[in-house]
Amino acid sequence: MFYLSVSILLFIVLSFWFPSTRPKQRPLSFLHQNHYISTMVLLQLDPFLNELTSMFERSTEKGSVWVTLKRSSLKSKVQRNKLATAGEAIEYRCLIRATDGKKTISTSVGPKDHQRFQASYATILKAHMTALKKRERKDKKKPSEADKREGGSKRQKKS
Amino acid sequence: MVYITEWDKFVEQSIELFRADPDSTRYVMKYRHCDGKLVLKVTDNRQCLKYKTDQAQEAKKMEKLNNMFFALMARGPDVDLSEVTGKEQMDAQPTKKGRGRKQ
Repeated sequence: MFYLSVSILLFIVLSFWFPSTRPKQRPLSFLHQNHYISTMVLLQLDPFLNELTSMFERSTEKGSVWVTLKRSSLKSKVQRNKLATAGEAIEYRCLIRATDGKKTISTSVGPKDHQRFQASYATILKAHMTALKKRERKDKKKPSEADKREGGSKRQKKS
Repeated sequence: MVYITEWDKFVEQSIELFRADPDSTRYVMKYRHCDGKLVLKVTDNRQCLKYKTDQAQEAKKMEKLNNMFFALMARGPDVDLSEVTGKEQMDAQPTKKGRGRKQ
């Protein structure tokens, strides 16, 4: 019971925290909107999360959001070869890219800050992936019938 | 490209794929709100693993996979994943209790 109340409280605090920090970023992204279309911008963690949130909000009517995770050193091949020949270790980070098909944003996390980021990221996903079907409390009642009904009322293919 | 239907298989194979070639493997999540669909993809440009779902429950499993990939990519492919998953399970347990299993 204690854990439940703590986790609910944490969620409420987080969900308040995100929208409240967003307006600060809005004017900036608006000013540079044309810039974003052609290039990818490497953002700091919090601006990235804010922008990701508004991407999710903009794509509720139509469109998709893609998020890619990739291991990367954020260096060119030449730079990497130089480091390799010098016998230096190459530092890798996790590169995170997000796009809605129109603009692309990116950020990167290292071993020290990935845990903080993944918690915030998970909160954003949880808050916006609301179109997924909740499983009914089927327990003993026929689950197949509910599935059929869901399948029958398909959404329009074209929007 | 065929979608993998079993979640555990998808997780196992995608981790394997990443560990085989950490530098060129990427993990992509696509979410389409208007259709309520979620597609996960892991590829190294030679092999492609995909998983799709429309269930909210699967999104919770995805969170775990996300965390695994964050750890693998930020800390390196040799990181101990049991540590990541173990922590997750500890976090998940209180919410399960909260959902009222006992009722």
